[in-house]
Amino acid sequence: MDDLRDPTERAYIQNYSIYFCVRPQKLYSLAQESGRTAAKYFINTYPKYFQKDFANPHIPCLMPETLELQVNEVSEAALIERIQLRKVKAAVDMYDQLLQAGTPVSLDLTNDLLDLISLYGDCDPARGDAPEQRTEEMVSLTLTSNNNAERIFNMMPERNRRSYGALIRGMVKHGAYSKAFNTYTDLLNNRLTGDVHIFNALISAAPEVREKYVEKWDLIVDLLKQMAEQKVKPTLLTFNAVLKALRRCGSLGRTQAFPVINEMKALGIATSAQGHTEILQDVLSEISGKSFTAQDPDDGIIKTQIHTFLLFTDSLCDIEQAYRVHSLLGVGENWKLLGDSYYQSIYYGRFFNLLCMMEHIDVVLKWYKELIPSLYYPNSQGMRDLLQALDTDNRLDLIPQIWKDIKRMGHDNKTELVEEMLSLMARENQIPEVQQSFADCALDVKALYTQTDRRVPLSWSAGSLSSITSILLAAERTQQAWEMLKLFKLANRVPESLMNQFLESVKASNNAQQAVELVQISASFCLSITPNLMERVQQEFDLTEEQRNTLSDLESSTAMSD
Amino acid sequence: HSVCYNRNSIYHFIDRAEKPHTVCRQLNSTLWLNVGGRSIHSSAVCCKNRAARIRVGKGDRPVTYEQALHPHQIAHRKGWLSQHTSNLQGEDGAADRTVEDLFIRRLIYGTFHGCLADELVIKRRGNLLVICALMLQKLPPHKYYFLVGYTEELLSHFYKCPVKMEIQMLEEKSVYKYL
Repeated sequence: MDDLRDPTERAYIQNYSIYFCVRPQKLYSLAQESGRTAAKYFINTYPKYFQKDFANPHIPCLMPETLELQVNEVSEAALIERIQLRKVKAAVDMYDQLLQAGTPVSLDLTNDLLDLISLYGDCDPARGDAPEQRTEEMVSLTLTSNNNAERIFNMMPERNRRSYGALIRGMVKHGAYSKAFNTYTDLLNNRLTGDVHIFNALISAAPEVREKYVEKWDLIVDLLKQMAEQKVKPTLLTFNAVLKALRRCGSLGRTQAFPVINEMKALGIATSAQGHTEILQDVLSEISGKSFTAQDPDDGIIKTQIHTFLLFTDSLCDIEQAYRVHSLLGVGENWKLLGDSYYQSIYYGRFFNLLCMMEHIDVVLKWYKELIPSLYYPNSQGMRDLLQALDTDNRLDLIPQIWKDIKRMGHDNKTELVEEMLSLMARENQIPEVQQSFADCALDVKALYTQTDRRVPLSWSAGSLSSITSILLAAERTQQAWEMLKLFKLANRVPESLMNQFLESVKASNNAQQAVELVQISASFCLSITPNLMERVQQEFDLTEEQRNTLSDLESSTAMSD
Repeated sequence: HSVCYNRNSIYHFIDRAEKPHTVCRQLNSTLWLNVGGRSIHSSAVCCKNRAARIRVGKGDRPVTYEQALHPHQIAHRKGWLSQHTSNLQGEDGAADRTVEDLFIRRLIYGTFHGCLADELVIKRRGNLLVICALMLQKLPPHKYYFLVGYTEELLSHFYKCPVKMEIQMLEEKSVYKYL
């Protein structure tokens, strides 16, 4: 039932304002997974309540799993059961008991036991599946932990290739690389040949046991030669292992990679993107990239990590390629390539970035509506790209709508983003309706800054204050603009560039008193522009006697302070 | 035969809405007179002119739309809380569906204790059981997701059919009038 779950399942609880950001979404899907795990725990611990079978036909995945051991006497059947239930310690104990009782254990069964121990590294796997996470596998145990496997191996009367294989693969998995090679030599000494799994494990372990790049590559070539001698056919995994190992070989790896790819093509092995991504990241060859994408729609094969293709198309700024890659996602099961939500966010982030840079704003907006918020929650960099695109195409009138989205996505606490948006709005004067909408938006931002119940309050900067004030002035909301001046004082910022704008607006309303106030404010900030202002006010306004006196007082006080 | 057993063969709206807690009370007071024998069990009586009706009181008690309208208003001004096809002619399993519904209501009432804004609506579409709930914003959203995942999985395994929960959040209970 797990595999058939809706792949596009997203957070669905509506009317709950915090569902727009990407991190909560991951949190919610993890929370749901852990709820399911909790339920599974109950179901498997108390199976007697879930035995009644309503379903006709029977649905086996909805029955409780039997995780408890049934067979308890010392016998081979008990050992088989323990291996099946993945109870490593119990299996080892049962094996020891069997040997002590003198019952011979068959070779196949011993091999199964060895596989089990190697896979789980000598301790029981955790109960229940961990929710889908990008955590590492359990930390590689120390080299002594493979004692059980080695002990049983040494006790075996006869060993075949499979036993050696289990041991080698276990050692490689848990980090005992040199031991793995020793065991391989042992295998050869016993006149047995390796199989493809052994060679894959050894190839992936090769970079760890040699220091220099050249030596590493030599070892890998040596292994491949031996593989050919022993008539073992390489598979996809072999080539992937080689390519992965090449990544660890630095520059030498890059030169060797192409022949490997060609050989893969020659052998007609269905190429996996895993293999190719290594190359693309290292080589950035346009040719190989193009030929690859041409093949895929025909093959429709399952690949991995398609976003690396986009990485490299980005660096070429090739929007056509990007569209082709995006359409590839619609073919067959390629959507699975995007990986988990982290990789998806990287992919869509880069895609959107490319769009904003290269395409016309209408196209950008079309994609914006399509991608956001159903597929991708842009981070603040994404929103800045969008603002940039709006600026390039002169569609600044859309900024208030974008601001609404920014708020919903929770990016309103990112000072750079907000300031950039404000400065874009404040840069030039717009037609009146747009100016009014800008003014509303600016007031909204101001309210955000002055909110006291935020955990991390936004701090005013000179830039944001001046932007808001100039927007308000341009929209002729003089009252609110004057209030902003008070905020300047509170935030200890200086309104340098705004004085002239203020003077213009005051002249428009022909309010002499306000003009005098303006000069006073300017003087209180000790702005260099004060004498200039004073002159202009004295010339351009009809001042009363009192006002003239105030001005001359100010003049003398500023002259003294100079 | 390969016909899948559906507990809800045709998608149709027919049922009587039962007021759950009164019926629960009835089931609660069931007595086994002879253990292991066959006997009559009876429960407390709830007359039809008192069931699912909230009587007019002082005027300080808020009631939702669903509570305020009485059962004779079903199919006039009210819908059904439980939707399945067992009450159609020739269909069986009505009693089983009812008991399942009650179990589900009690389970959800306890799991999401204090968070339910109104009665559950349980819909059956083919094999699928859909539980539609209105919830208040009492818990942080990740806890809701946890509980939803838990309930869905538990009920699926219990009833051997896919169970989905659809939740809508409200800020507070919607009051229709005060009685």
